[in-house]
Amino acid sequence: MNLLERYLQAVGQYLPVKGKDDTLAELRANLMAEIESREEELGRPLNEAETSSVLAQHGRPVIVASRYLPQQSLIGPGLFPLYWFTLIKSFPLVVLAYTVAQVANLIFGGGSAGIGAAIGHFPYVAFTFWGVVTLGFAVFEFAQGRFFEPIKWSQPWDPRELKDLTPEPKGKSFASRVADLIVSVLMIGWLLAVPNHPYLVLGPGASLNRLSLGLTPDWHVFYWQIIGLLVLMLPVKATALFVAEKWRKGLDLTAQAIGILVLVVLVQARSYLVPLRDGSNMPSLANLAQVNYSVNLGFKIVLAVCVVKFLWDIWEAITGSRRNAAGFVGVF
Amino acid sequence: MNIAIQTELFDSLRLELRRGCLVLAVLAQLRVEHYGYTLRKALADQGLEIEESTLYPLLRRLETQGLLTSEWREEEKRNKRFYRLSAAGAEIFEKLLAEWNGINESLHRILKDEKERVTL
Repeated sequence: MNLLERYLQAVGQYLPVKGKDDTLAELRANLMAEIESREEELGRPLNEAETSSVLAQHGRPVIVASRYLPQQSLIGPGLFPLYWFTLIKSFPLVVLAYTVAQVANLIFGGGSAGIGAAIGHFPYVAFTFWGVVTLGFAVFEFAQGRFFEPIKWSQPWDPRELKDLTPEPKGKSFASRVADLIVSVLMIGWLLAVPNHPYLVLGPGASLNRLSLGLTPDWHVFYWQIIGLLVLMLPVKATALFVAEKWRKGLDLTAQAIGILVLVVLVQARSYLVPLRDGSNMPSLANLAQVNYSVNLGFKIVLAVCVVKFLWDIWEAITGSRRNAAGFVGVF
Repeated sequence: MNIAIQTELFDSLRLELRRGCLVLAVLAQLRVEHYGYTLRKALADQGLEIEESTLYPLLRRLETQGLLTSEWREEEKRNKRFYRLSAAGAEIFEKLLAEWNGINESLHRILKDEKERVTL
C-alpha cells in the first residue's frame, strides 16, 4: 500500500488545496477497490510489480490531477473566433502604422539606425501587439459571466442587415494608360531640354537673369540617373497596354517602384539651387539653404506617401489574388 | 493520406464521437446508485470500457453541473462516494436520450438508403 500512498501523494501535488482531500479519498477508495478486485481474482495479495501495473494503467499523476482541475482556457471557444478575426484584420494596420512611423522617422528624424534596424525591430512590435490583444481578450473572457452577461452568439440576427456587396475595383482604362505613357514621354523630353533651357526649371526669371541662382553641380550627377529610370519606366508602361489583366498589376507595381527610385535619387541630392558668382541680386545664403531644405522636405514627403501607397498596393495585390484564387468576388 | 495522419485523425474523431456518448452512458447507468469502481465495471460489462482517469473526473464534473448527487457512505468497512442521477440530471438525461435516438435513427436511415443505392 506504500506505493498507492506515494501515488496519491504525487497526484495531490498537482491538485488545488480546495477539495484535494476529498478527491484523494475518492481516488484511494476506487483504486483500493480495483486492487482488491484483482486480489480476489488471483486469490492472493498483489505484489509490488502488480500494484505498480494497476497504478501505471491509471495514468501519470500529473495527467490524472489535470483531469480533476476545472476546464479552463485563456480564451474560450465562444470568444476565440472573434479574437482570431481581430488579430487577422488588425495586423495589416499595425504593419501600416509601423511603416508610416518608421518612414517618417527616417525622413524627418534623420533616423540614424536605418531601414535594417527598423525591420529588425518589427518582431518586437508584432509580439507586443499580439500580447496586448491576447491579454485584452483573456481579461474579457475572465470577466464575462463574472461581472457581466457572456456574449450569446445564438441571439437572433437578420442577414438582411449585412452590408451590400462591395463592387470590384476597376483598373485603369486603356485611354488612361495611353495618356499616362504620353505624359511620361513628354516629361522625359522636358527633362532632356532642361540643361540647355534652365528656365524650364527656374522659370522665366532665369532667362532674364533677374535671379542670381543656378542649379547645383550635383544636378549633373543625379540628372542622368533620373533620365535613365524614367526611360526604363516607358517599356514597362507600354507593355502594360497590351498584356493580360493579371500581369498588369505586376507591371504597375514595377512602374511604381521605379517612380520611387526617382524620388530616392532626388531626396539624396539634398541641395538643388546655388548662388551664381556674378549675380547682383544674390539672395542670402541662409535663405537659400532654407529653400533647398524646403524642396528636399517636399521630395521626402512625396517619397513617404509613395512608399506607403506602394506597400498598400502590394498588400491589395496579394490579398486580391488570394480572394480570386478562393473564388471570392469583391466580398471584402 | 499519410497513415500516421490518418490514424491521428481517426483517434481524434473517435474521441470526439465517444465524448458525448460516454456522458449519456454514465447518466443512464447512474439511474442506479454506484461508486466509481463499480460504475466502471458495470459499463465495461455492457461493453463500454472507460479509463478510470477519464471516468472519475467526469463524475465530479457532472456533479458540479448538478446532474448527479453524491454521498460518502461506508460499505465493506470502507468509505466510498456513491453517485446517483439527480432530479435535474434525470430530466436532462431524457432530453439527451431523445436527441440520441433521433440522431441514431437518422443515421440508420442514411446508411440504409446508401446500402439500397449500392445494391441497385
